[in-house]
Amino acid sequence: MPTMTPGAFAHPATSLDFKTGTWRTQRPVHHLRPAPCHSGCPAGESPRDYLARVAEGNLQAAWENLVAANPLPAISGRVCDHPCETACNRGQFDSAVAIHNVERLLGDEAIRCGWDYALPPLAADAPKAALVGAGPAGLSCAYHLRRQGVRAVLMDRLPVAGGTLRMALPGYRLPREVLEAEVARLLAAGIDFVPNMALGRDVSLAELQQDYAAVFLGPGRHRPRNWDVDGHTPRDLHPALTLLQEWVAFGTLPEIHSAVIVGGGNSAIDMARVLARTGAKVHLVTHDALPGPGVAREAAMKVAPRDIRAAEEEGVILHPEHGVYHIILRGEKVAGVELVRMKKLALGNGRYEVVPFEGTETVLHVDQVIPAIGQEVAPDGMESLLGKRAFFHVDAAGRLAGHAGLFVGGDARQGAWGTVSGAVGDGRRAAFAMLAHLRNEAAAQETEIAPIGLAELNLNYFEQAPRAEEVLLPVADRTGCAEIAQGLSAVQVAAEAARCFSCGNCMACDNCWTLCPDQAVLKTRELAADGSHYVIDYDYCKGCGLCAHECPVGYLAMEVEPVASAPFASCRTEGTPLDAPVLR
Amino acid sequence: MTTRTLLDLRLNQPRFQGMEAGHRACQGCGQALAARLVLEATGPDVVVANATGCLEVFTTAWPDSAWRVAWLHSLFENTAAVAAGMEAALKAQGRNTKVLAFAGDGGTFDIGFQALSGMLERGHNVLFVCFDNEAYMNTGVQRSGSTPHAAATTTSPAGVARMGKRHLKKDILSIIAAHHIPYAATASVAYPADLRKKVRRGLQVDGPSFLQIHSPCPLGWAHGSELSIEVARLAVQTGLFPLIELERGALTGAMHIRQIRPVTEYLKLQGRFRHLFTDDPRAREELAHLQALADHNIEIYDLLGNSPEALDTEGADTVRRGGLHSA
Repeated sequence: MPTMTPGAFAHPATSLDFKTGTWRTQRPVHHLRPAPCHSGCPAGESPRDYLARVAEGNLQAAWENLVAANPLPAISGRVCDHPCETACNRGQFDSAVAIHNVERLLGDEAIRCGWDYALPPLAADAPKAALVGAGPAGLSCAYHLRRQGVRAVLMDRLPVAGGTLRMALPGYRLPREVLEAEVARLLAAGIDFVPNMALGRDVSLAELQQDYAAVFLGPGRHRPRNWDVDGHTPRDLHPALTLLQEWVAFGTLPEIHSAVIVGGGNSAIDMARVLARTGAKVHLVTHDALPGPGVAREAAMKVAPRDIRAAEEEGVILHPEHGVYHIILRGEKVAGVELVRMKKLALGNGRYEVVPFEGTETVLHVDQVIPAIGQEVAPDGMESLLGKRAFFHVDAAGRLAGHAGLFVGGDARQGAWGTVSGAVGDGRRAAFAMLAHLRNEAAAQETEIAPIGLAELNLNYFEQAPRAEEVLLPVADRTGCAEIAQGLSAVQVAAEAARCFSCGNCMACDNCWTLCPDQAVLKTRELAADGSHYVIDYDYCKGCGLCAHECPVGYLAMEVEPVASAPFASCRTEGTPLDAPVLR
Repeated sequence: MTTRTLLDLRLNQPRFQGMEAGHRACQGCGQALAARLVLEATGPDVVVANATGCLEVFTTAWPDSAWRVAWLHSLFENTAAVAAGMEAALKAQGRNTKVLAFAGDGGTFDIGFQALSGMLERGHNVLFVCFDNEAYMNTGVQRSGSTPHAAATTTSPAGVARMGKRHLKKDILSIIAAHHIPYAATASVAYPADLRKKVRRGLQVDGPSFLQIHSPCPLGWAHGSELSIEVARLAVQTGLFPLIELERGALTGAMHIRQIRPVTEYLKLQGRFRHLFTDDPRAREELAHLQALADHNIEIYDLLGNSPEALDTEGADTVRRGGLHSA
C-alpha cells in the first residue's frame, strides 16, 4: 500500500491547535447597556426587556417583568404621558415603539387571565410598615414592601383605594372598571387596606410612628393653590380640580359659556375637554411649550401628546407659551383676560425662568377664568412636618431630613413628576429605602448609567416599519365616560414588540455568529452566563472588531486586551499527530 | 467555562463549519468569512480544489489544516482543470459528491482563466467560486485584472504620473456568461443569506456554475479590520458591485438598491482610494468616473427598485430576534 508523506497532507480541522487569540490587542465583550426607554421611565420599567418577552410570544413573562417595577400597568398604560416613547431611539429612525399600548395590553391580559402578582408569604415576625394615602405612590410602595417580605398596612381617608386616580381622572381616559379591577387585584394580592382612616382625624402621625418603625406618606396634592393676578382674584372663581372632581363624582358642571383655563397639566387639559363637551368655548393658556422633539421636559406641558391632540380635536383652543397678564373686570364679573407671549428659558443650572415678551399682548373675551395651576398638599395631620411649605422636601429615596423612619413620595414631594408613573417610581424607591431602614442597613444607591444612543446601534440591520396606531372614538361620540383610546390588538402589539431595537441588549439575531471570519463566536442553545446566546472563544478571536461594529443593538464593545501574563506565549499548545494515513 | 466544554460547544454548532478556527487569515478577512459561508451552504459532501493564494496559504500552514472537507491544493493556473478531473473521476465512480473550485481573483481573472474557460466549455458539473478581493493580496497587493479603476496597488501606485490603476475592472461575469453556462452570479459577504442561497442554487443546477464573491481585504484595501462588512455593503449599495444572477447568459435576478449611496461613501473608507480625496483636478475627474461606472451598473442591471422589497439592499440583511434569517 502506498503511503503519503507527512508533508503532503494534514488532518481535518487541526488548525484548532493554533490559538490565534494570542494576536489580539483588543477583545470584544458583551456589554449590557441601559436602553433609553428604561432611563426615561420614572416608574423604573424596562420596556426593552418586556417587549422581548412579548416578541417571544410569552405575554405572562412580559407582564411579570413589567410588574417587577410597576404593579399598575393597565392604569399607567392608559394615563401615563409615556416619556419612554419620547426617549425611544426608534423615534429618531421612523417612529417610537408604541410602548404604552403594549403596557396597557399586558395589564388588561393580566386582569382577564388573573395572573398572580405572586407576593411571597409573610413570616409571622415580618416587619411592619404603615402607608398613608392609597394613591399610586402608596399602592406602589406597599406592593414593593410586600415583595420584600414586609407587612404593608395601607390606609386612606376615603372608603376606597385609588387616590387621585379615582378622584380626578375622567373615565374617558381611565375607565372605572379598569381602575377598580387593577386596584382590587393588587390589594387582594396581600396588602392590608384600612379605609376611612384619615391622618389627623382618626389617627395621628405620632401614633403611627409609635406602632410602625417605618411610615410612608403619600397624601397627594388636594388643596388648590391660591391664584391671583396682581393681587386680584375674581369673585366667582372655581379651581379646575374642584370642578373636575365634581364632574368625575356626579357628572355635573356649572353653566359656562366661554372660559380660559390657566395651566398646562393634566387637570387643565381634562378640565378643558370636559368643558368643551358642554358646548362652551374653551381656551387653554399655559407657560409651557407643546411637548415634542427638542423641547426640554421641564419646559413642556406634562401631558401625553395624544391627549393634547384629542383636546384640540374636541374644540379646545390652545395657547402654549402664553400667560395671563391682567384680568379685565366689568364690576366684579370677568370680561376677558390680557394674554402675553412667554417662554420658559433655561437658566443653566437645571432651573427655568418664565420670561414675558413686551409688545405681544392680546385680549381674549371670556366670562370665566379657571385656574389649573396645580395644587398643594392638604396638611391635615402633617402640619408639624410641612410648616409653611406647600410640599415636602425629600431626597431621591423619599427620606425626610431629620425624621428617621418617615418617607414621602408621589405628588406631595417637591419636584414630583406629577404623573402616575412618577408616583409609582417614588413608591418603589421609598420602599427600598424603608426596607434598608427596617433592617438597619445602609441604603443601596441607584447609579445612573447613560443610556445607549442611536449612534451606537447599527441601523443597516433594521428596516423602516410603520407604528401601529390605535383607533380613537370619533369626536362626535365623545360625550360620556366611554374610553376614547381603543388600544391595540394582541397581533398589533406583537408587531410593535418586533419593532423594538433592543437597544443595548442581545436579541439573538446571529449576526456576530454569522459574520465572525474566525469562527470565534459560538452559539449556545441554552443561555450563556451573561444572558446572551453566544460565547466568544478568546482562544481564536483575533480582535478584528467586526462583530462589535456590526452588532445591530450595541451589545458588543471592544476593550483593550488585558496584559498577558506570558507576553510571548506560543500559539501552539499541544503537538499535532503526524501519523500517515494509508491510501487505498 | 472550561476549554473542554467550549470545544464541545464548537463541535455541536447548528451549522456546518467546513473551515475551522485557527486559520491564519488577517484580522477581519473577508475571504475567510466567504469561504466558511460557502461551505455552510454546501454541507460536508463536497471536494474542493483550491488555487494558490491567500485562502490556500492561511488555511494550511503545515502541519495544520483548517478544512473539514476533502481539500486539494492545485497550482495557481489549473484549479478549474483539477476540479474538472475530480468531477470526472467521481462520475466514473458513480458518486454524487459535489466538486467546488476555489480561487482568488488572480486565479480566476488572469492566471487561471484559460483553464476556467475550458472547464465551462466542456460542461463539467463544478461550482467555481471566485473570492474577489481585487488584487494579488497574498504576494503583496499587486494589481490584477479585477482591481477596480483608480485603486492604488503596489504595481499601480497613485502619484505624479497616475491616479492608481489606469485600466478598468475586467467584466468577468460577462465573459463567463458568454459560455452560456446554466448559472452564474455575484454575491457579497455583506449579504450572507443571499450568498448562501446562490451557493445552493449553483449546486442544484446540472453543469458548470460560477459565483463571484466580493471579499474585502483590510490589508490590501487599507481599511480598519472592523469595517470589512461595512465596505462590502457600501460596494453593493453604491452600485459599484451589483449583485446579479445570470442563467444561460441572461440576466434573471438582481438585488435592487432601495437607497442608492454616493460612491464617495464607499471610497473614503479605503486607503487604496485615498488619493481621490486630495485637492487635485485628476482626483475629481476619477471620482466622477467611478460614480459614472456605478450609475452605468445601476442602469444596465436595472438595480433601482420601485418600492421597498423584502430582499432589496435594505431588507436582505434585516435582523430578527432569535436569528430567523430568510436563508
